[in-house]
Amino acid sequence: FFYFDSVESLPAEPLDPSDFKPLNSRYDAQISVFGSKLQKKLEDAKVFMVGSGALGCEFLKNLALMGVSCGSQGKLTITDDDVIEKSNLSRQFLFRDWNIGQAKSTVAASAAASINPRLKIEALQNRVGPETEGVFNDTFWEKLTVVINALDNVNARLYVDQRCLYFQKPLLESGTLGAKCNTQMVIPHLTENYGASRDPPEKQAPMCTVHSFPHNIDHCLTWARSEFEGLLEKTPAEVNAYLSNPVEYASSMKNAGDAQAKDNLERVLECLDREKCETFQDCITWARLRFEDYFVNRVKQLIFTFPEEAATSTGAPFWSAPKRFPHPLQFSAADTSHLNFIIAASILRAETFGISVPDWVKNPKMLSEAVDKVIVPDFQPREGVKIETDEKAASLSAASVDDAAVINELLLKLELCRNNLPSGFRMKPISFEKDDDTNYHMDLIAGLANMRARNYSIPEVDKLKAKFIAGRIIPAIATSTAMATGLVCLELYKVLDGAHKVEDYRNTFANLALPLFSIAEPVPPKVMKHRDMSWTVWDRWILKDNPTLRELIQWLKDKGLNAYSISYGSCLLFNSMFPRHKERLDKKVVDVAREIAKAELPPYRSHLDVVVACEDDDDNDIDIPQVSIYYG
Amino acid sequence: MNGEELTEQETALYDRQIRVWGADAQRRLSKSHILVYGMKGTVAEFCKNIVLAGVGSVTLVDDREVTEEALSANFLILPDENLYHGKTLAEVCCDSLKEFNPMVHVSVEKGDISTFGVEFFGKFDAVVISCCSLAKKKLINQKCRKLPKRVAFYTVDCRGTCGEIFVDLKDYKYSKKKLEETDECQLEFPSFEDTISVPWKALPKRVSKLYFAMRVIEQFEDAEGRNPGETSIADLPGVLKLRKELCETNSVNESQIPDALLERLLIGTSEYPPVCAIIGGILGQEVIKAISGKGDPLKNFFFFDAMDGKGLIEDISEPKPVS
Repeated sequence: FFYFDSVESLPAEPLDPSDFKPLNSRYDAQISVFGSKLQKKLEDAKVFMVGSGALGCEFLKNLALMGVSCGSQGKLTITDDDVIEKSNLSRQFLFRDWNIGQAKSTVAASAAASINPRLKIEALQNRVGPETEGVFNDTFWEKLTVVINALDNVNARLYVDQRCLYFQKPLLESGTLGAKCNTQMVIPHLTENYGASRDPPEKQAPMCTVHSFPHNIDHCLTWARSEFEGLLEKTPAEVNAYLSNPVEYASSMKNAGDAQAKDNLERVLECLDREKCETFQDCITWARLRFEDYFVNRVKQLIFTFPEEAATSTGAPFWSAPKRFPHPLQFSAADTSHLNFIIAASILRAETFGISVPDWVKNPKMLSEAVDKVIVPDFQPREGVKIETDEKAASLSAASVDDAAVINELLLKLELCRNNLPSGFRMKPISFEKDDDTNYHMDLIAGLANMRARNYSIPEVDKLKAKFIAGRIIPAIATSTAMATGLVCLELYKVLDGAHKVEDYRNTFANLALPLFSIAEPVPPKVMKHRDMSWTVWDRWILKDNPTLRELIQWLKDKGLNAYSISYGSCLLFNSMFPRHKERLDKKVVDVAREIAKAELPPYRSHLDVVVACEDDDDNDIDIPQVSIYYG
Repeated sequence: MNGEELTEQETALYDRQIRVWGADAQRRLSKSHILVYGMKGTVAEFCKNIVLAGVGSVTLVDDREVTEEALSANFLILPDENLYHGKTLAEVCCDSLKEFNPMVHVSVEKGDISTFGVEFFGKFDAVVISCCSLAKKKLINQKCRKLPKRVAFYTVDCRGTCGEIFVDLKDYKYSKKKLEETDECQLEFPSFEDTISVPWKALPKRVSKLYFAMRVIEQFEDAEGRNPGETSIADLPGVLKLRKELCETNSVNESQIPDALLERLLIGTSEYPPVCAIIGGILGQEVIKAISGKGDPLKNFFFFDAMDGKGLIEDISEPKPVS
């Protein structure tokens, strides 16, 4: 079960037979196949490994055995901002039980060095992204020989891909999902980059479905996750933002003046005024009233606005499939699932207010008594309440004319509240952590989702399944992980050898469950052409000697390209539409970037990159490479 | 299953893999006993995989002493003479493997495996052998087959950039998920001896050249009384002569087994780490499938050649009589 013809992938240049003689080293097997020159290249390689989890551990083991970065000039930098936890240990075999809580990259590096003490490895804990470009700066990237991805998410992969495109570095990419794995080689100028072909984005349920018309447990879990974040993370963070800088916060709310700002303020006010918690009993009250609001009152309002026999504007029944007609729940302290909801919600609420949890919470009788003490106001559904039904609606905030006035009112009320608070009062936002079974996070998420499911007569799920869906867990096993890294490491030899054609490389896809094993040549990059020039996404055009905007435009004009817009990052430096911009034409590009775009160009930088939009003489848009302007 | 639930420890540790193969498969794994012979790099990878997966026990057999050569592809052996001095390959690997999963019982069995009786093999659910001569492979396979219970049998060998796996599951009943349903399937596997006795002329032309090449080398080592892997380029004339004989006997063209391929197998007696990871991963998953009784097994040979990157599954069995 394979595709494509065989191609030799020995070193591209003919080698002297003596190159293959064993050197009495642990790498003799490799030398006999690939020669000692290539082995030396491996040893002196400067490698950047992004990620130190399952793939990372397997890679480090392979690289240590192969002798990669084990020579005097070699360097392997590995980075990962995550710490080790229990469920990692079923794949990430460089970690032990006593490493739980420690940084993945450090522990992995140390274990890899035991396999080969010559390994020149440095472990960092930075997440790669725009915020860490000070750590992974130009000098760092320029020195690299190859980049190896060992990541678990697409966004990070796209970022690394962009960096490798920019610095023209080979990127070895791989991923697993259960028994499936795939590898992709990204070689400068030879292959397309990782981001050139994207999987279609996951379909997300429309907002109104999640908010009012769920019909499966995924909708309920999405809603639960969203409520969790809103109640326990976002609102407390918003409260703190206000309390830390009341004046700035107030003016930015006034400036925004929209429905979103109004909603934020209402939530902050709720926390500090009407629903403020000072004792644990307050938290129980809050939890009980949340239950009533979510699973009783909102449903009553919904079915009041849209009764069972309601019809749409076309006369069809409103509550036709897939919509499910909901029923309000009736709270009972005798129902363990209701009580468990109260426990999880009140404990987490208490955590955000820094209130300690009393022992009697574990006593069901005392807990029921505490809950029964809560006075639950009567609820009457109202006429004229707007409930979003349009699937295309992206936001649920209903804008209204007097938002600005309401915002002012809210701000005044907030000021009064603030003055009554102890000085230095802050809340503690909670970040969802799915893998700690003692933190009540999954208990609350499952509780929220299942009570909601009960409203809509949707089958409920156990905590394991809830964790899988809400936690967006990726099922993972050691076998496919090991295989993926083996396949990538085979390609590493070709990358370091350097002189191979695109047909020599292999992308693979395998599914060990079937079993299925397929290989393919990487796809070359798309070639853009204009007059006698051609280029790909890998190219950059370079202008030296500190040109002005006019000189840049003329340089492009000489190539038959009419530049009409020039940007630096997200800032527009020049656009032929604006008469004012003509004043800038004789300024140096770097100066315009500094003045207009407030570009911070550190002393070690000698160039900046601009994106230029061009047309040819027939007004066709031409996608040109990034242009690097050297001013230093 | 038997109403025996996984412990809280196991659920926490195996969470990510239970989501792949299910709690029932995990339970079966935790009760399984695996025998492993020949502790080279690929087998080390395989052992790592099944220990992490949480099998019940792994018994290692390899009385050879640790040499520097072992360090080239076996990551279970750390390059510290103090750690491995005076110990056998099995003993050092056992020490390392134990650390990967304290819930798996890893132990060493000493002695000549050819002398172990049928009852010994009966203690295991799967037997994986490497670095075995032709005679030993046949012998152990026969003993496994004699048992009334099914003992899954695998051979695995990596030479340089090439790897080979052989699978014998006897009469194998298993389940397979198809969309919403589960199908019950059955496969009959030929023994190792029967498999390699299939006349070469009866096999499809496109069968991997590696199959034939490995059989030539195997028979050469057997005829010369060599230990597996004890060859060099100096043996090429002898091997070519044997190839000529075998091809004549089997009425196939010698070009089916290229010189260059035989050379590579003769020279490349050491293992190559990335190939060990690939083969060890595939073999690990096969054993997990066989223990859990879920999913199509590999039938019955797998070949990998890093030179072209191809991974091939070959079904080498007597063609079914047309009735």
